[in-house]
Amino acid sequence: MSDTDFQSVITPPPADQLVLETRNLNFYYGSNQSLFGVSMPVKRNGITALIGPSGCGKSTLLRTMNRIYDLYPGQRAEGEILVDGENILGPKVDVTALRARVGMVFQKPTPFPMSIYDNVAFGVKLYHKKSKSQMDEVVEKALRRAALWDEVKDKLQKSGLSLSGGQQQRLCVARGIAVEPEILLLDEPASALDPISTAKLEDTLEELKRDLTIIIVTHNLQQAARLSDYTGFMYLGKMVEYGPTEELFVKPKVERTSDYIGGRFG
Amino acid sequence: MDRALRRKFANQAFVVICTGAALVALGALALIMFSLLTKGVGGVDLMLFTADTPAPDSPGGLRNAIIGSILMCGVAMMIAVVIGVLAGTWLAEIGGDTPYGHVVRFLNDVLLSAPSILIGLFVYWWVVVPMGGFSGWAGAIALGILATPIVTRTTEDILNLQPNALREAGMALGASQWVTVRSIIWKAAGAGMLTGGLLGFARISGETAPLLFTALNNQFLSFDMSKPFASLPGAIYPFAMSPYETWNTLAWAGALLITLAVLGVNILGRWLARDKDHK
Repeated sequence: MSDTDFQSVITPPPADQLVLETRNLNFYYGSNQSLFGVSMPVKRNGITALIGPSGCGKSTLLRTMNRIYDLYPGQRAEGEILVDGENILGPKVDVTALRARVGMVFQKPTPFPMSIYDNVAFGVKLYHKKSKSQMDEVVEKALRRAALWDEVKDKLQKSGLSLSGGQQQRLCVARGIAVEPEILLLDEPASALDPISTAKLEDTLEELKRDLTIIIVTHNLQQAARLSDYTGFMYLGKMVEYGPTEELFVKPKVERTSDYIGGRFG
Repeated sequence: MDRALRRKFANQAFVVICTGAALVALGALALIMFSLLTKGVGGVDLMLFTADTPAPDSPGGLRNAIIGSILMCGVAMMIAVVIGVLAGTWLAEIGGDTPYGHVVRFLNDVLLSAPSILIGLFVYWWVVVPMGGFSGWAGAIALGILATPIVTRTTEDILNLQPNALREAGMALGASQWVTVRSIIWKAAGAGMLTGGLLGFARISGETAPLLFTALNNQFLSFDMSKPFASLPGAIYPFAMSPYETWNTLAWAGALLITLAVLGVNILGRWLARDKDHK
């Protein structure tokens, strides 16, 4: 199959359930284009997974959604990304406010060099002035939602770096949801974790998806199949197939998707 | 000789050479410490800290020189830490990749290896002459200029070692670049930045040349940094060269004091920056 007859089949969720949608999104690292006209409609609440071989652009796509690429001069996006109907690629967008609505958890755990408590409170302090008792509540709630509270409630003043890798990653989830975002982006959050920690993290995400939109990049097809409601399969910077996870895994509409899921390439 | 035997022999030879080199370096250090201790300890008594530098062949101490050194090094380190940390942060976090950043880094490296006597001359022309005389301030400025590039360089190097993911994590929460650097990156890099400060202090604490035409010297106790100012290296230099035994003893004691101060500050720094995270 040559690149010209690249098939792309998108099965969107119902229009009234959309929270985020990329439209015809192109992305460039300097002069290298790495996303080509990607359209991806994301359903509110629930988990959407992005799969595809290394270098296919799934992390790049995720990193456009909170404009974290802004940190690097030379990286730019073209097209539209609508969050609640507003194009966040527009020139007048308040990036700080955007990042309060769209949180992110990274591949490797990134606890800040401060106490567990301060890690969770860090983002909240940027937006709200809260009393000690209010902040205590916010921190406890976030840690409970991230299923970490029972493990750390007696050592909140200990350094976040003293936790195990899996706990650190759930701490990062807690830190991300403490600011009450609508959307949480996760970039291969389990790739540095052992199977038990991975299972715990997945349980956490299952809990969170009821009132939070989660978009997760993963190399692990089973993880995508297990966790997600919608899945997007990307290849060479394009969205090959996007739709409900069950359909995509059981009867994919594009040959390339079934090849990838069947392990015949990638 | 077969191949395995040859490799074994080469391995042994390198182990011997490396161990030998380490022993030579450590031996030289041990010899310095030994002579400092044997010749210096005799001059350490209460008077060393309570009396000022004496006239030839009369009893005295180094009080004025000790206080002078502490004050000048203190002011110098304040200058160096403020400028060095900000410059190093700018290089690592903001402008390091711009053409201007490359120029700044290059000039900093030049300054890093500039002979200290040149720094003294520079401060003489730009501070001592316009101010109309030698002063403690001029000495502190000269020492500060010496320490600044060291702090700048180590700050930049340490900040560059911090993972980008940490910066992204801060920004992803909506923190500005300044907040991210100040409350996350600086914290993560704290121990290394402190080491930079200690290196700077160790460098300037024994400097004599840049003080010769800036602070000059002062035989009496003075806290007025707008006047000529005493310092330990400034006292050691003439005392060690002199034919008077009391002065020679004081010079050794002063040298011992500087060494112990550098050692003490280093130990203190290590202790402050010790790994608290895993306890």
